Amino acid sequence: MLIFRRFANLFARSRVEREIDAELRSHIDMRMEDNIAAGMSAEEARRDARIRFGNAAVMKERVTAMDASLAVANTWSDVRYGFRQLRRYPVFAITAIVTLALGIGATTAIFSVMNAVLLRWMPLPHPQELYYLHLPIGHPSGYGASQTGDDATSFSRPTFEYLRQDLRAFSEVMAFIPLSNDKVAVRKGDMPEEANGEMVSGNFFSGLGVRMRLGSGFKMEDEQHHAPLVVLSFAYWTHLYSRDPGVLGQALYIKGIPFAILGIAPEGFSGVEAGQSTDFWIPLQSRPELNPWGNSPDVNTLYGSPNWWCLRLIARLAPGVDAQRAVAEATPGFQAAAYASLGKPDPKQPKVTLSLVAAKGIQGLGDNYREPVLVLMALVTLVLLIACSNVAMLILARNASRRREFGVRMALGARRSTLLRQLLVESALLVVGGALLGWLFAEGATRALAAWSQLEVSLAPDGTVLLFAGTVSALAALVFSLAPLRAATNAPVIAALRATAATSYQKGRSGNAVLALQVALCFTLLMAAGLLLRTLMNYENTNLGMRTDGLLVFGIAPQQAKTNEAKFAFYRTLLERMRGMPEVESATFVETRLGTGWSSNDEPTVDGVKVSFEQVPLRTNDVGPDFLRTFGIPLLEGRDIRDTDTATSQHVVVVNETFVKKLLPHSDPIGHLLGNPKKHPYAIVGVARDSKYRSVDEAPRAMAYYPYTQDTGAPPTLQVELRTKGDPLSVLPAVERVIREMDPNIPLEKPMSQTAVFEDSYAQQRLFSRLAMFFGLLAALLVGIGLYGTLSYRISRRSTEIGVRMALGARQWQVLGMVMRESLLIAGLGVALGIPLAMLTGHFMGSMLFELEPYDRWTALASLVGVVSIGLAAGYLPARRAASIDPMQALRSE
Amino acid sequence: MARNDLQGSLDLLVLKTLSQVGKLHGYGIVLHIQRASDELLRVEEGSLYPALHRMEQSGWIAAEWGLTETGRKAKYYRLMAAGRKELDQAEKSFDQLVKGVRAVLKYA
Repeated sequence: MLIFRRFANLFARSRVEREIDAELRSHIDMRMEDNIAAGMSAEEARRDARIRFGNAAVMKERVTAMDASLAVANTWSDVRYGFRQLRRYPVFAITAIVTLALGIGATTAIFSVMNAVLLRWMPLPHPQELYYLHLPIGHPSGYGASQTGDDATSFSRPTFEYLRQDLRAFSEVMAFIPLSNDKVAVRKGDMPEEANGEMVSGNFFSGLGVRMRLGSGFKMEDEQHHAPLVVLSFAYWTHLYSRDPGVLGQALYIKGIPFAILGIAPEGFSGVEAGQSTDFWIPLQSRPELNPWGNSPDVNTLYGSPNWWCLRLIARLAPGVDAQRAVAEATPGFQAAAYASLGKPDPKQPKVTLSLVAAKGIQGLGDNYREPVLVLMALVTLVLLIACSNVAMLILARNASRRREFGVRMALGARRSTLLRQLLVESALLVVGGALLGWLFAEGATRALAAWSQLEVSLAPDGTVLLFAGTVSALAALVFSLAPLRAATNAPVIAALRATAATSYQKGRSGNAVLALQVALCFTLLMAAGLLLRTLMNYENTNLGMRTDGLLVFGIAPQQAKTNEAKFAFYRTLLERMRGMPEVESATFVETRLGTGWSSNDEPTVDGVKVSFEQVPLRTNDVGPDFLRTFGIPLLEGRDIRDTDTATSQHVVVVNETFVKKLLPHSDPIGHLLGNPKKHPYAIVGVARDSKYRSVDEAPRAMAYYPYTQDTGAPPTLQVELRTKGDPLSVLPAVERVIREMDPNIPLEKPMSQTAVFEDSYAQQRLFSRLAMFFGLLAALLVGIGLYGTLSYRISRRSTEIGVRMALGARQWQVLGMVMRESLLIAGLGVALGIPLAMLTGHFMGSMLFELEPYDRWTALASLVGVVSIGLAAGYLPARRAASIDPMQALRSE
Repeated sequence: MARNDLQGSLDLLVLKTLSQVGKLHGYGIVLHIQRASDELLRVEEGSLYPALHRMEQSGWIAAEWGLTETGRKAKYYRLMAAGRKELDQAEKSFDQLVKGVRAVLKYA
């Protein structure tokens, strides 16, 4: 109650003051009346009343102080006083606030990423019940889940049908299959486009619990009838239709087939693909053009190939069932369903098993980000530690220099608690300022990170991040509250008053320990940054085995061509047109674009002898004529694929060095046969040097290049590769013109330079190394500032001592050496502490490194040089100042 | 008794006055203490109002505006339960003080 009135008084100060005025006036008036009654004149009466009352202004002030009570009003005045103090020392305030903001901002930004990648649930009802279904040891048909991306996540249709009706384990099982391992062609009106599309089971939206923004989701009948209906994501609706609510029922052409728009998904739901957003969803389809993953229907189809493991699944647990029990319930039936179509399980092979992965963050489909994000989080925490300790030392130093002020105030009657409260308020002001500025930094940084990382997830800070930033700031505030405690309350009044420069100099052992620890952290950060930088350099300098510069690549899918013949004819004409362009030196096709992380895989059969995939995994790619020449891959023996290799000519294949080493080590490989001897085996006609296929960091594997013309069916999409003169992207408009002449409906899918494709394959590593570099430099800067500040402060306190030394004959260089020694000693101690810490960090970073040891000697040396340079630079300026002290001046100022 | 010595006992005197008279304004309290002490005690008016407001904030006394006999507006104070308790305490400790001082004076 009282506290409320005090608050009320605080805000209604003017009203309170008016009342006090009235009360005091009535007192004086009553005294005057009595005086007049006692016989004084009016003038005398007033004089007497005023004299008795004393100084009215002082009294009013005192009464007001009683009313607008102690705690509340004083806190407010502390805040105002704190502001004034900080304004008086703007350099101190700005340094502290910016340092804190950098620390808090960087930490918050990285935590945002961690939140999005590892922690955040999907924006759906009861997200904790949602699990991705995985196959922990891969799927049973032996080698890769042909053309389905990842064999740990792909299921066959019979197993899906079994799992979705097993209601003991799951209340719903939803299937989703990308229409392509990239984007697919989409057309609205005359505008060809490309978009990420998936086909999904009928319960996809209802099972996940997605509440449509507009229209409705699919029903089970839509899956059974393969209804030509499409649901758009909010983002794609915005992009394509500018959020026009009248789009429902309109036609959208997907791979040339019309689909009616049924609904719009809500904002924030971008599908269930990890780290990717889906633009549209259609029910599962049986049309050959819409085969799963854009695969040729000649090999496998969704409804015709029970052994094709191509569906991705996400499930909602049955009520009251946890993940472990669901797996136990579903496994026997799942295995039965799997082996019903596969035939008896191989007793030598482990049986196919099921596992559940929580649909949280983006780890559902691969743990690529987990470790790097955790490492980054650890690194940025070190930066925060450095920043906080810097500010703490700064505050400590400033409070120490204010000891005389505290002493005076205490001598004048200020209570110790009052001083302490004031210091706490000042620290709190710094932290609040730093946190607010840091939040702004974090907002900008997450936006930049989202752009760089090419992660299609929202990194925008949410409630969890806000809570995190708040906690970090509160901890920082606590640390800084403890710092002034020491300096202020330990100051005995008399000593503080009497203190002069000479007597107040303390050795500052604990200060040195903090500095050394900072140097250790900085060393660790520099080491981590160096390792990641060298990893990036290794990526950049890896020999790809080909000449990528000057190569332009884009995908193309002949939508109008229905038959294999028509498609082959289209590709042939296309290649001729491309070759005819003056800017093009040579042109070829590949079915799987190089450097995207995708690959085709097979079990090799050489001269009729089958070799298991475990022994020699064979990578394959369908390519066009002049493949080796266009890519600049050296031919070691035999010949390249030629125009004369057609469907009707002898089947041929070009292999690589590793193929020969592993499969035909002792003979001339030319002429040997690859593939089923009964069905057109492929004769080896050439041997190429090893080159990269999926990514930069892969080890060489046996490779077979088949002419695309000799495949069983025409590939639905091919990647056109053009060797151009000069900048490949400058040729693009001319290429587009030529393609439009052939078919105006066909978009060029993802046109880029081949160099950029490979560079994108390590974009994640580039991002991480840039971030680590930033952290390392930030740490170096902060530690440098901290060291410089502390040394300068010490010099300023010791100027008398140094003056005496110099008066007694110390040379300038001796003084210089004395200060530099102190700085280097701290740096040396820090390195000694930092080496084990850096080794530990390197150990955890092992999986992030490419062709590099975690204890890389050169990186360690470079970090050492970095730290020592910081020590030298931070020590030099104060040392020079110390050496230039004029002894007479220093002694006189005492 | 010197004026300064009154300071510590001001609370006691104000509370006692209010307990005897009931409702009274600040000027009335000054007059009452003066009269009741046979003009021996004079309240320093500069100290009275801060004390009154402090006691009001502590909940010992309550205040309200009223009219004096001459029709003037004045702020009237009255004793609250907490103030009564405080008064008991203060009276007891004052008695102790007086006893102690007397004892010392006897032997001095």
